[in-house]
Amino acid sequence: MKRFISFMLLAVILISPLGADTFSLSLNQNLASNLFQNRYEEGDQISTLSFYLDKNLNKFSIYTEGGYSYLHENPNLTYYVQDAGIDFIHPISTKSALYFAAAGRAAFYRTDYSDFNYTSVNFLAAFKSYLHPTSIFKSNYTLEFKNYKSSYYDFISHALTVSLDKYFPSKTTLKGEIDWGYKNFIHPYIYEEALPEEGSHPGMGKGRGKGSFGKGLNQNLVNTQSEAQAIQVFSISGLAAQGLGNQVGINFSGTRQWVISGQNPFSFIEEFYAVENPSYDRFSWEGYQIGSQLTLLLPWYIQLNMGYTRSYKSFPGIETFDLEGNSLGIKRKDTKNQIEVTMAKDFPRFSILLAYYYINNISNDLYFDWNGHFFSIGIEWNISLGANR
Amino acid sequence: MKRIVIITFCLISLEIGLPAIRQEKQHFYNVDKEIKVEGTIEKIIMEPRYKDTAPFLIVALKEKKTQHLYQVEVSPVWFFDYDFHQGESLVITGSLYQTGENRFNLIAREIQFKGELFTLRDKHGFPNWRGGKSLQKKRGKGKGRGKGIRF
Repeated sequence: MKRFISFMLLAVILISPLGADTFSLSLNQNLASNLFQNRYEEGDQISTLSFYLDKNLNKFSIYTEGGYSYLHENPNLTYYVQDAGIDFIHPISTKSALYFAAAGRAAFYRTDYSDFNYTSVNFLAAFKSYLHPTSIFKSNYTLEFKNYKSSYYDFISHALTVSLDKYFPSKTTLKGEIDWGYKNFIHPYIYEEALPEEGSHPGMGKGRGKGSFGKGLNQNLVNTQSEAQAIQVFSISGLAAQGLGNQVGINFSGTRQWVISGQNPFSFIEEFYAVENPSYDRFSWEGYQIGSQLTLLLPWYIQLNMGYTRSYKSFPGIETFDLEGNSLGIKRKDTKNQIEVTMAKDFPRFSILLAYYYINNISNDLYFDWNGHFFSIGIEWNISLGANR
Repeated sequence: MKRIVIITFCLISLEIGLPAIRQEKQHFYNVDKEIKVEGTIEKIIMEPRYKDTAPFLIVALKEKKTQHLYQVEVSPVWFFDYDFHQGESLVITGSLYQTGENRFNLIAREIQFKGELFTLRDKHGFPNWRGGKSLQKKRGKGKGRGKGIRF
Protein backbone atom coordinates (compact mmCIF):
# COMPACT_ATOMS: atom_id res chain seq x y z
CA MET A 1 0.00 0.00 0.00
CA LYS A 2 2.91 2.34 0.78
CA ARG A 3 4.22 1.85 -2.74
CA PHE A 4 0.81 2.57 -4.21
CA ILE A 5 0.43 5.76 -2.18
CA SER A 6 3.97 6.86 -3.11
CA PHE A 7 3.39 6.35 -6.83
CA MET A 8 -0.06 7.97 -6.64
CA LEU A 9 1.31 11.03 -4.84
CA LEU A 10 4.15 11.29 -7.33
CA ALA A 11 1.69 11.07 -10.21
CA VAL A 12 -0.72 13.63 -8.74
CA ILE A 13 2.11 16.11 -8.08
CA LEU A 14 3.44 15.67 -11.57
CA ILE A 15 0.12 16.04 -13.37
CA SER A 16 -0.75 19.25 -11.57
CA PRO A 17 0.54 21.44 -14.43
CA LEU A 18 -2.23 19.78 -16.52
CA GLY A 19 0.38 17.90 -18.44
CA ALA A 20 -1.30 14.52 -18.75
CA ASP A 21 -4.11 13.99 -21.25
CA THR A 22 -6.02 11.36 -19.31
CA PHE A 23 -6.11 10.47 -15.64
CA SER A 24 -8.31 7.75 -14.25
CA LEU A 25 -8.83 6.10 -10.95
CA SER A 26 -10.64 2.81 -10.48
CA LEU A 27 -11.81 0.70 -7.62
CA ASN A 28 -12.81 -2.93 -8.07
CA GLN A 29 -14.17 -5.45 -5.65
CA ASN A 30 -13.83 -9.11 -6.64
CA LEU A 31 -15.32 -12.10 -4.90
CA ALA A 32 -14.02 -15.59 -5.66
CA SER A 33 -15.49 -18.79 -4.28
CA ASN A 34 -12.34 -20.70 -5.26
CA LEU A 35 -9.28 -18.47 -5.24
CA PHE A 36 -6.71 -21.23 -5.76
CA GLN A 37 -8.81 -23.07 -8.30
CA ASN A 38 -8.52 -26.57 -6.87
CA ARG A 39 -10.86 -29.12 -5.34
CA TYR A 40 -10.49 -27.65 -1.84
CA GLU A 41 -12.49 -24.49 -2.43
CA GLU A 42 -11.28 -21.45 -0.58
CA GLY A 43 -13.06 -18.17 -1.05
CA ASP A 44 -11.55 -14.73 -0.87
CA GLN A 45 -12.26 -11.11 -1.66
CA ILE A 46 -9.86 -8.94 -3.60
CA SER A 47 -10.02 -5.16 -3.51
CA THR A 48 -8.08 -3.40 -6.23
CA LEU A 49 -7.33 0.29 -6.38
CA SER A 50 -5.57 1.53 -9.49
CA PHE A 51 -4.66 4.68 -11.34
CA TYR A 52 -3.77 5.37 -14.94
CA LEU A 53 -2.46 8.40 -16.76
CA ASP A 54 -1.20 9.03 -20.22
CA LYS A 55 0.14 11.75 -22.42
CA ASN A 56 0.47 12.23 -26.15
CA LEU A 57 3.76 13.81 -27.15
CA ASN A 58 4.04 14.47 -30.83
CA LYS A 59 3.61 11.07 -32.46
CA PHE A 60 4.35 9.18 -29.26
CA SER A 61 1.98 8.19 -26.53
CA ILE A 62 3.27 7.40 -23.05
CA TYR A 63 1.43 6.01 -20.08
CA THR A 64 1.91 4.79 -16.56
CA GLU A 65 -0.43 2.74 -14.43
CA GLY A 66 -0.33 1.33 -10.93
CA GLY A 67 -2.61 -1.14 -9.16
CA TYR A 68 -2.74 -2.32 -5.56
CA SER A 69 -4.66 -5.52 -4.86
CA TYR A 70 -5.51 -6.57 -1.32
CA LEU A 71 -6.64 -10.12 -0.56
CA HIS A 72 -8.82 -10.13 2.53
CA GLU A 73 -8.44 -13.79 3.55
CA ASN A 74 -4.88 -14.22 2.28
CA PRO A 75 -3.28 -10.82 2.98
CA ASN A 76 0.20 -12.27 2.49
CA LEU A 77 -0.60 -12.64 -1.21
CA THR A 78 -1.39 -8.93 -1.57
CA TYR A 79 0.44 -7.28 -4.46
CA TYR A 80 1.27 -4.09 -6.28
CA VAL A 81 1.89 -3.87 -10.02
CA GLN A 82 3.35 -0.85 -11.80
CA ASP A 83 3.38 -0.46 -15.60
CA ALA A 84 4.86 2.17 -17.85
CA GLY A 85 5.22 2.29 -21.61
CA ILE A 86 5.57 4.23 -24.78
CA ASP A 87 4.19 3.65 -28.27
CA PHE A 88 4.38 5.08 -31.74
CA ILE A 89 2.24 4.80 -34.88
CA HIS A 90 3.86 5.25 -38.23
CA PRO A 91 1.64 5.29 -41.34
CA ILE A 92 3.12 3.73 -44.45
CA SER A 93 0.21 4.78 -46.62
CA THR A 94 -3.43 5.75 -46.07
CA LYS A 95 -4.26 2.05 -45.78
CA SER A 96 -1.25 0.63 -43.93
CA ALA A 97 0.57 1.46 -40.74
CA LEU A 98 3.21 0.23 -38.36
CA TYR A 99 2.87 0.30 -34.61
CA PHE A 100 5.72 0.00 -32.11
CA ALA A 101 5.42 -0.22 -28.35
CA ALA A 102 7.79 -0.76 -25.46
CA ALA A 103 6.66 -1.33 -21.91
CA GLY A 104 8.04 -2.20 -18.52
CA ARG A 105 6.35 -3.76 -15.55
CA ALA A 106 7.28 -4.44 -11.94
CA ALA A 107 5.24 -6.66 -9.63
CA PHE A 108 5.75 -6.81 -5.88
CA TYR A 109 4.04 -9.44 -3.75
CA ARG A 110 3.95 -9.77 -0.01
CA THR A 111 5.76 -12.50 1.90
CA ASP A 112 4.01 -15.65 0.70
CA TYR A 113 4.57 -14.91 -2.94
CA SER A 114 7.67 -12.72 -2.87
CA ASP A 115 9.74 -15.28 -4.82
CA PHE A 116 7.52 -14.36 -7.77
CA ASN A 117 8.29 -10.64 -7.62
CA TYR A 118 9.41 -9.70 -11.07
CA THR A 119 10.35 -7.00 -13.51
CA SER A 120 9.57 -7.41 -17.17
CA VAL A 121 10.21 -5.67 -20.45
CA ASN A 122 8.00 -6.03 -23.54
CA PHE A 123 8.46 -4.91 -27.08
CA LEU A 124 5.77 -5.06 -29.73
CA ALA A 125 5.87 -4.39 -33.44
CA ALA A 126 2.68 -4.60 -35.47
CA PHE A 127 1.66 -4.07 -39.06
CA LYS A 128 -1.88 -3.60 -40.33
CA SER A 129 -2.99 -3.13 -43.89
CA TYR A 130 -6.27 -3.00 -45.80
CA LEU A 131 -5.66 -5.37 -48.68
CA HIS A 132 -9.17 -4.46 -49.80
CA PRO A 133 -11.73 -2.18 -48.09
CA THR A 134 -13.38 -5.36 -46.80
CA SER A 135 -10.26 -7.35 -45.93
CA ILE A 136 -7.56 -6.69 -43.34
CA PHE A 137 -4.13 -8.25 -42.98
CA LYS A 138 -2.39 -7.99 -39.63
CA SER A 139 0.91 -9.16 -38.26
CA ASN A 140 2.37 -8.78 -34.75
CA TYR A 141 5.67 -9.63 -33.16
CA THR A 142 6.05 -9.61 -29.37
CA LEU A 143 9.20 -9.97 -27.31
CA GLU A 144 8.98 -10.44 -23.57
CA PHE A 145 11.67 -10.73 -20.95
CA LYS A 146 10.75 -11.54 -17.37
CA ASN A 147 13.16 -11.43 -14.49
CA TYR A 148 11.87 -13.05 -11.28
CA LYS A 149 13.30 -12.77 -7.81
CA SER A 150 13.58 -16.54 -7.91
CA SER A 151 15.58 -16.87 -11.12
CA TYR A 152 14.28 -20.38 -11.91
CA TYR A 153 11.39 -18.74 -13.70
CA ASP A 154 13.26 -16.14 -15.75
CA PHE A 155 12.45 -16.37 -19.41
CA ILE A 156 12.53 -14.65 -22.73
CA SER A 157 9.76 -15.29 -25.24
CA HIS A 158 8.97 -14.43 -28.83
CA ALA A 159 5.55 -14.58 -30.47
CA LEU A 160 4.51 -13.99 -34.03
CA THR A 161 0.88 -13.66 -35.16
CA VAL A 162 -0.48 -13.32 -38.67
CA SER A 163 -4.19 -12.85 -39.43
CA LEU A 164 -6.46 -12.15 -42.34
CA ASP A 165 -10.13 -11.29 -42.29
CA LYS A 166 -12.93 -10.66 -44.76
CA TYR A 167 -16.26 -8.88 -44.35
CA PHE A 168 -19.19 -10.05 -46.46
CA PRO A 169 -22.35 -8.16 -47.49
CA SER A 170 -24.35 -10.56 -45.29
CA LYS A 171 -22.73 -8.64 -42.36
CA THR A 172 -20.59 -11.67 -41.59
CA THR A 173 -16.89 -11.38 -40.83
CA LEU A 174 -14.61 -14.38 -41.14
CA LYS A 175 -11.12 -14.32 -39.71
CA GLY A 176 -8.22 -16.76 -39.69
CA GLU A 177 -5.10 -16.49 -37.56
CA ILE A 178 -1.80 -18.32 -37.19
CA ASP A 179 0.36 -17.97 -34.09
CA TRP A 180 3.83 -19.16 -33.28
CA GLY A 181 5.53 -18.77 -29.93
CA TYR A 182 8.89 -19.63 -28.42
CA LYS A 183 9.69 -19.41 -24.72
CA ASN A 184 13.16 -19.99 -23.38
CA PHE A 185 13.82 -20.41 -19.67
CA ILE A 186 17.10 -18.60 -19.32
CA HIS A 187 18.63 -20.20 -16.28
CA PRO A 188 19.65 -23.81 -16.14
CA TYR A 189 17.57 -25.78 -13.72
CA ILE A 190 19.12 -27.11 -10.61
CA TYR A 191 17.52 -30.34 -9.63
CA GLU A 192 15.23 -29.72 -6.78
CA GLU A 193 13.07 -32.62 -5.86
CA ALA A 194 9.41 -31.93 -5.59
CA LEU A 195 8.80 -32.85 -2.02
CA PRO A 196 5.15 -33.01 -1.21
CA GLU A 197 4.31 -33.82 2.32
CA GLU A 198 3.88 -37.49 2.58
CA GLY A 199 0.38 -38.51 1.75
CA SER A 200 -0.51 -35.25 0.04
CA HIS A 201 -0.78 -34.02 -3.51
CA PRO A 202 2.29 -32.02 -4.63
CA GLY A 203 -0.01 -29.16 -5.53
CA MET A 204 -0.62 -28.68 -1.84
CA GLY A 205 3.10 -28.07 -1.38
CA LYS A 206 5.12 -27.75 1.71
CA GLY A 207 3.34 -26.04 4.48
CA ARG A 208 0.05 -25.99 2.65
CA GLY A 209 -2.80 -27.47 4.42
CA LYS A 210 -5.94 -28.67 2.81
CA GLY A 211 -7.13 -25.86 0.68
CA SER A 212 -5.03 -23.21 2.34
CA PHE A 213 -2.10 -21.26 1.09
CA GLY A 214 1.05 -21.70 3.12
CA LYS A 215 4.64 -20.64 2.68
CA GLY A 216 6.57 -20.43 -0.57
CA LEU A 217 5.22 -21.98 -3.70
CA ASN A 218 8.41 -22.27 -5.64
CA GLN A 219 9.95 -24.97 -3.51
CA ASN A 220 8.20 -27.71 -5.41
CA LEU A 221 7.85 -26.22 -8.83
CA VAL A 222 11.19 -27.05 -10.32
CA ASN A 223 11.75 -30.12 -12.40
CA THR A 224 15.02 -31.83 -13.26
CA GLN A 225 16.90 -30.07 -15.99
CA SER A 226 20.59 -29.57 -16.58
CA GLU A 227 20.33 -26.80 -19.11
CA ALA A 228 18.04 -24.06 -20.29
CA GLN A 229 14.85 -25.32 -21.81
CA ALA A 230 12.62 -23.93 -24.49
CA ILE A 231 8.99 -24.55 -25.37
CA GLN A 232 7.66 -23.90 -28.82
CA VAL A 233 3.95 -23.68 -29.65
CA PHE A 234 1.96 -23.23 -32.81
CA SER A 235 -1.74 -22.50 -33.15
CA ILE A 236 -4.43 -21.80 -35.68
CA SER A 237 -7.60 -19.89 -34.88
CA GLY A 238 -10.80 -19.04 -36.65
CA LEU A 239 -13.58 -16.59 -35.91
CA ALA A 240 -16.99 -15.94 -37.44
CA ALA A 241 -18.78 -12.77 -36.36
CA GLN A 242 -22.26 -11.69 -37.32
CA GLY A 243 -23.60 -8.19 -36.85
CA LEU A 244 -27.37 -7.92 -36.27
CA GLY A 245 -27.85 -4.16 -36.57
CA ASN A 246 -25.92 -1.79 -34.34
CA GLN A 247 -27.41 -3.22 -31.16
CA VAL A 248 -26.43 -6.87 -31.37
CA GLY A 249 -23.28 -8.76 -32.23
CA ILE A 250 -22.53 -12.46 -32.05
CA ASN A 251 -19.39 -14.43 -32.69
CA PHE A 252 -18.05 -17.97 -32.64
CA SER A 253 -14.37 -18.76 -32.33
CA GLY A 254 -12.07 -21.74 -32.11
CA THR A 255 -8.37 -22.35 -31.51
CA ARG A 256 -6.21 -25.44 -31.89
CA GLN A 257 -2.76 -25.32 -30.34
CA TRP A 258 0.16 -27.72 -30.50
CA VAL A 259 3.36 -27.83 -28.46
CA ILE A 260 5.86 -28.57 -31.20
CA SER A 261 8.96 -28.87 -29.02
CA GLY A 262 9.86 -28.87 -25.35
CA GLN A 263 7.65 -29.33 -22.34
CA ASN A 264 6.74 -27.70 -19.05
CA PRO A 265 9.64 -27.72 -16.60
CA PHE A 266 7.40 -27.66 -13.55
CA SER A 267 6.17 -30.39 -11.28
CA PHE A 268 2.63 -29.14 -11.57
CA ILE A 269 0.73 -26.25 -13.05
CA GLU A 270 -1.79 -24.10 -11.30
CA GLU A 271 -3.73 -20.94 -11.91
CA PHE A 272 -5.05 -18.63 -9.23
CA TYR A 273 -7.84 -16.17 -9.64
CA ALA A 274 -6.42 -12.65 -10.05
CA VAL A 275 -2.93 -13.63 -8.91
CA GLU A 276 -0.46 -14.37 -11.67
CA ASN A 277 1.30 -17.72 -11.45
CA PRO A 278 4.47 -18.29 -13.50
CA SER A 279 3.71 -21.97 -14.08
CA TYR A 280 0.75 -21.20 -16.36
CA ASP A 281 0.64 -19.18 -19.55
CA ARG A 282 -0.09 -19.65 -23.27
CA PHE A 283 2.96 -21.91 -23.58
CA SER A 284 1.80 -24.42 -20.97
CA TRP A 285 -0.75 -26.37 -22.93
CA GLU A 286 -1.85 -27.97 -26.13
CA GLY A 287 -5.39 -28.75 -27.20
CA TYR A 288 -8.33 -26.72 -28.35
CA GLN A 289 -10.70 -24.03 -27.24
CA ILE A 290 -14.07 -23.05 -28.67
CA GLY A 291 -16.30 -20.21 -27.65
CA SER A 292 -19.23 -18.02 -28.49
CA GLN A 293 -20.16 -14.55 -27.40
CA LEU A 294 -23.28 -12.40 -27.60
CA THR A 295 -23.00 -8.63 -27.22
CA LEU A 296 -26.10 -6.49 -26.70
CA LEU A 297 -26.61 -2.77 -26.33
CA LEU A 298 -29.59 -2.44 -24.01
CA PRO A 299 -31.76 0.61 -23.29
CA TRP A 300 -29.93 3.43 -21.45
CA TYR A 301 -26.80 2.32 -23.30
CA ILE A 302 -26.11 -0.56 -20.97
CA GLN A 303 -23.73 -3.02 -22.57
CA LEU A 304 -24.37 -6.69 -21.90
CA ASN A 305 -21.98 -9.42 -22.88
CA MET A 306 -22.64 -13.14 -22.49
CA GLY A 307 -20.18 -15.83 -23.42
CA TYR A 308 -19.46 -19.52 -23.20
CA THR A 309 -16.05 -21.11 -23.63
CA ARG A 310 -15.06 -24.75 -23.60
CA SER A 311 -11.44 -25.82 -23.66
CA TYR A 312 -9.66 -29.13 -23.71
CA LYS A 313 -6.04 -28.81 -22.63
CA SER A 314 -3.25 -31.24 -21.94
CA PHE A 315 -0.02 -30.16 -20.29
CA PRO A 316 3.16 -31.70 -21.75
CA GLY A 317 5.63 -32.71 -19.04
CA ILE A 318 3.05 -32.55 -16.27
CA GLU A 319 2.16 -35.78 -14.53
CA THR A 320 -1.04 -36.48 -12.67
CA PHE A 321 -1.10 -37.52 -9.05
CA ASP A 322 -3.73 -39.00 -6.83
CA LEU A 323 -4.76 -37.12 -3.72
CA GLU A 324 -2.20 -39.06 -1.68
CA GLY A 325 0.61 -37.79 -3.89
CA ASN A 326 1.23 -40.99 -5.86
CA SER A 327 2.09 -40.48 -9.49
CA LEU A 328 -0.42 -42.00 -11.88
CA GLY A 329 2.09 -41.96 -14.75
CA ILE A 330 -0.16 -40.15 -17.18
CA LYS A 331 -0.20 -36.66 -18.59
CA ARG A 332 -2.55 -34.14 -17.02
CA LYS A 333 -5.62 -33.29 -19.10
CA ASP A 334 -8.29 -30.73 -18.26
CA THR A 335 -11.66 -29.93 -19.77
CA LYS A 336 -12.91 -26.52 -18.74
CA ASN A 337 -16.34 -24.97 -19.23
CA GLN A 338 -16.76 -21.28 -18.59
CA ILE A 339 -19.84 -19.07 -18.61
CA GLU A 340 -19.49 -15.32 -18.32
CA VAL A 341 -21.86 -12.38 -18.11
CA THR A 342 -20.61 -8.81 -17.98
CA MET A 343 -22.49 -5.52 -17.90
CA ALA A 344 -21.10 -2.04 -18.30
CA LYS A 345 -22.56 1.42 -18.18
CA ASP A 346 -20.74 4.66 -18.96
CA PHE A 347 -21.74 7.86 -17.21
CA PRO A 348 -20.32 11.27 -18.10
CA ARG A 349 -17.57 11.10 -15.50
CA PHE A 350 -17.38 7.47 -14.54
CA SER A 351 -18.12 3.92 -15.66
CA ILE A 352 -19.51 0.93 -13.81
CA LEU A 353 -18.69 -2.66 -14.63
CA LEU A 354 -20.32 -5.83 -13.29
CA ALA A 355 -19.08 -9.30 -14.12
CA TYR A 356 -19.92 -12.89 -13.21
CA TYR A 357 -18.09 -16.05 -14.21
CA TYR A 358 -18.81 -19.68 -13.51
CA ILE A 359 -16.10 -22.19 -14.24
CA ASN A 360 -16.18 -25.95 -14.08
CA ASN A 361 -12.84 -27.70 -14.59
CA ILE A 362 -12.77 -31.47 -15.07
CA SER A 363 -9.27 -32.90 -14.71
CA ASN A 364 -7.73 -36.36 -14.59
CA ASP A 365 -5.72 -34.97 -11.67
CA LEU A 366 -8.39 -34.85 -8.96
CA TYR A 367 -6.67 -32.04 -7.11
CA PHE A 368 -7.44 -29.79 -10.09
CA ASP A 369 -11.00 -31.00 -10.49
CA TRP A 370 -12.89 -27.92 -9.36
CA ASN A 371 -15.58 -25.37 -9.96
CA GLY A 372 -16.06 -21.81 -8.83
CA HIS A 373 -18.13 -18.65 -8.97
CA PHE A 374 -16.46 -15.29 -9.47
CA PHE A 375 -18.07 -11.87 -9.12
CA SER A 376 -16.61 -8.49 -9.85
CA ILE A 377 -17.91 -4.96 -9.49
CA GLY A 378 -15.91 -1.92 -10.47
CA ILE A 379 -16.13 1.81 -10.83
CA GLU A 380 -13.77 3.93 -12.83
CA TRP A 381 -13.47 7.70 -12.82
CA ASN A 382 -12.07 9.34 -15.92
CA ILE A 383 -10.66 12.82 -15.86
CA SER A 384 -9.54 14.26 -19.17
CA LEU A 385 -6.88 16.91 -18.84
CA GLY A 386 -5.68 17.49 -22.38
CA ALA A 387 -6.86 19.88 -25.05
CA ASN A 388 -10.36 19.19 -26.47
CA ARG A 389 -9.10 19.18 -30.00
CA MET B 1 17.70 -4.09 -12.96
CA LYS B 2 15.24 -2.81 -10.34
CA ARG B 3 16.96 0.58 -10.31
CA ILE B 4 16.71 0.83 -14.07
CA VAL B 5 13.00 0.01 -13.93
CA ILE B 6 12.32 2.50 -11.13
CA ILE B 7 14.31 5.25 -12.90
CA THR B 8 12.41 4.51 -16.11
CA PHE B 9 9.06 4.81 -14.31
CA CYS B 10 10.10 8.10 -12.74
CA LEU B 11 11.29 9.51 -16.07
CA ILE B 12 8.10 8.50 -17.82
CA SER B 13 5.95 9.90 -15.02
CA LEU B 14 7.97 13.14 -15.16
CA GLU B 15 7.55 13.30 -18.90
CA ILE B 16 3.79 12.87 -18.53
CA GLY B 17 3.72 15.63 -15.98
CA LEU B 18 5.38 18.21 -18.17
CA PRO B 19 3.11 20.98 -19.41
CA ALA B 20 1.34 20.05 -22.59
CA ILE B 21 2.85 21.21 -25.82
CA ARG B 22 0.05 23.35 -27.15
CA GLN B 23 -0.90 22.66 -30.69
CA GLU B 24 -2.20 24.92 -33.34
CA LYS B 25 -5.92 24.09 -33.34
CA GLN B 26 -7.52 23.75 -36.70
CA HIS B 27 -10.88 22.79 -35.25
CA PHE B 28 -12.13 21.62 -31.90
CA TYR B 29 -14.98 19.70 -30.32
CA ASN B 30 -17.92 22.09 -30.20
CA VAL B 31 -20.57 20.60 -27.89
CA ASP B 32 -23.23 22.91 -29.35
CA LYS B 33 -22.84 21.23 -32.72
CA GLU B 34 -23.22 17.65 -31.54
CA ILE B 35 -25.30 15.37 -33.76
CA LYS B 36 -25.99 11.65 -34.15
CA VAL B 37 -25.52 9.96 -37.50
CA GLU B 38 -26.33 6.39 -38.53
CA GLY B 39 -24.73 5.16 -41.70
CA THR B 40 -22.58 2.74 -43.62
CA ILE B 41 -18.80 2.81 -43.93
CA GLU B 42 -17.65 3.82 -47.40
CA LYS B 43 -13.93 4.20 -46.82
CA ILE B 44 -11.30 3.81 -44.08
CA ILE B 45 -8.00 5.68 -44.11
CA MET B 46 -5.18 6.93 -41.86
CA GLU B 47 -4.68 10.67 -42.22
CA PRO B 48 -2.78 13.41 -40.36
CA ARG B 49 -5.24 15.77 -38.69
CA TYR B 50 -3.29 17.78 -36.14
CA LYS B 51 0.21 19.13 -36.19
CA ASP B 52 2.72 16.98 -34.29
CA THR B 53 0.29 14.19 -33.47
CA ALA B 54 -0.08 10.67 -34.76
CA PRO B 55 -2.32 10.33 -37.82
CA PHE B 56 -5.99 9.65 -37.14
CA LEU B 57 -8.26 6.87 -38.24
CA ILE B 58 -10.78 8.54 -40.55
CA VAL B 59 -13.99 6.78 -41.55
CA ALA B 60 -16.08 8.02 -44.47
CA LEU B 61 -19.68 7.32 -43.40
CA LYS B 62 -22.69 7.59 -45.69
CA GLU B 63 -25.74 8.60 -43.67
CA LYS B 64 -28.77 6.33 -44.15
CA LYS B 65 -31.40 9.09 -44.19
CA THR B 66 -29.75 11.84 -46.21
CA GLN B 67 -27.02 9.99 -48.11
CA HIS B 68 -24.63 12.74 -46.96
CA LEU B 69 -21.03 11.65 -46.69
CA TYR B 70 -19.36 12.43 -43.36
CA GLN B 71 -15.63 12.29 -42.73
CA VAL B 72 -15.53 10.92 -39.19
CA GLU B 73 -12.42 11.56 -37.15
CA VAL B 74 -12.03 8.66 -34.72
CA SER B 75 -8.62 8.50 -32.96
CA PRO B 76 -5.03 7.54 -33.73
CA VAL B 77 -4.92 4.23 -31.84
CA TRP B 78 -8.20 2.93 -33.21
CA PHE B 79 -6.59 2.09 -36.49
CA PHE B 80 -4.92 -0.79 -34.69
CA ASP B 81 -7.51 -1.50 -32.02
CA TYR B 82 -10.60 -2.10 -34.11
CA ASP B 83 -11.23 -3.63 -37.48
CA PHE B 84 -13.78 -1.66 -39.46
CA HIS B 85 -14.69 -2.76 -42.97
CA GLN B 86 -16.39 -1.11 -45.89
CA GLY B 87 -20.12 -1.82 -45.74
CA GLU B 88 -20.37 -2.11 -41.94
CA SER B 89 -22.96 -0.05 -40.12
CA LEU B 90 -22.11 2.49 -37.37
CA VAL B 91 -23.97 5.01 -35.24
CA ILE B 92 -21.76 7.99 -34.42
CA THR B 93 -22.38 10.78 -31.94
CA GLY B 94 -20.02 13.66 -32.57
CA SER B 95 -19.38 17.32 -33.21
CA LEU B 96 -20.10 18.58 -36.71
CA TYR B 97 -17.98 21.05 -38.63
CA GLN B 98 -18.00 21.89 -42.31
CA THR B 99 -14.98 22.59 -44.47
CA GLY B 100 -16.97 23.39 -47.60
CA GLU B 101 -20.54 23.53 -48.80
CA ASN B 102 -20.89 19.78 -49.01
CA ARG B 103 -18.00 18.63 -46.86
CA PHE B 104 -19.34 17.36 -43.56
CA ASN B 105 -16.88 16.39 -40.86
CA LEU B 106 -17.57 14.77 -37.52
CA ILE B 107 -15.31 14.51 -34.49
CA ALA B 108 -16.55 11.27 -32.97
CA ARG B 109 -17.44 11.10 -29.28
CA GLU B 110 -19.36 7.81 -29.14
CA ILE B 111 -19.55 4.90 -31.54
CA GLN B 112 -22.19 2.14 -31.55
CA PHE B 113 -20.95 -0.91 -33.35
CA LYS B 114 -22.17 -4.53 -33.28
CA GLY B 115 -23.85 -4.19 -29.88
CA GLU B 116 -21.05 -2.28 -28.23
CA LEU B 117 -20.79 1.36 -27.26
CA PHE B 118 -17.36 2.97 -27.37
CA THR B 119 -16.81 6.29 -25.67
CA LEU B 120 -13.94 8.17 -27.27
CA ARG B 121 -14.42 11.54 -25.62
CA ASP B 122 -16.22 12.86 -22.57
CA LYS B 123 -19.31 15.10 -22.76
CA HIS B 124 -17.08 18.15 -23.19
CA GLY B 125 -15.11 16.63 -26.03
CA PHE B 126 -11.93 15.82 -24.14
CA PRO B 127 -10.35 12.69 -25.62
CA ASN B 128 -10.24 9.65 -23.39
CA TRP B 129 -8.95 7.06 -25.76
CA ARG B 130 -5.82 5.44 -24.54
CA GLY B 131 -2.62 4.99 -26.37
CA GLY B 132 0.24 2.91 -25.20
CA LYS B 133 -0.75 -0.52 -24.15
CA SER B 134 -3.74 -0.91 -26.41
CA LEU B 135 -2.22 -3.79 -28.32
CA GLN B 136 -0.11 -5.22 -25.58
CA LYS B 137 -2.88 -6.02 -23.25
CA LYS B 138 -6.50 -5.90 -24.23
CA ARG B 139 -8.11 -4.32 -21.25
CA GLY B 140 -11.62 -3.76 -22.38
CA LYS B 141 -12.67 -1.39 -25.03
CA GLY B 142 -13.13 2.26 -25.62
CA LYS B 143 -11.75 3.75 -22.48
CA GLY B 144 -9.95 0.67 -21.40
CA ARG B 145 -11.96 -0.49 -18.46
CA GLY B 146 -10.17 -0.74 -15.14
CA LYS B 147 -9.22 -3.72 -13.17
CA GLY B 148 -12.26 -5.89 -13.43
CA ILE B 149 -10.51 -9.22 -13.49
CA ARG B 150 -11.18 -11.31 -16.54
CA PHE B 151 -10.29 -14.87 -17.33
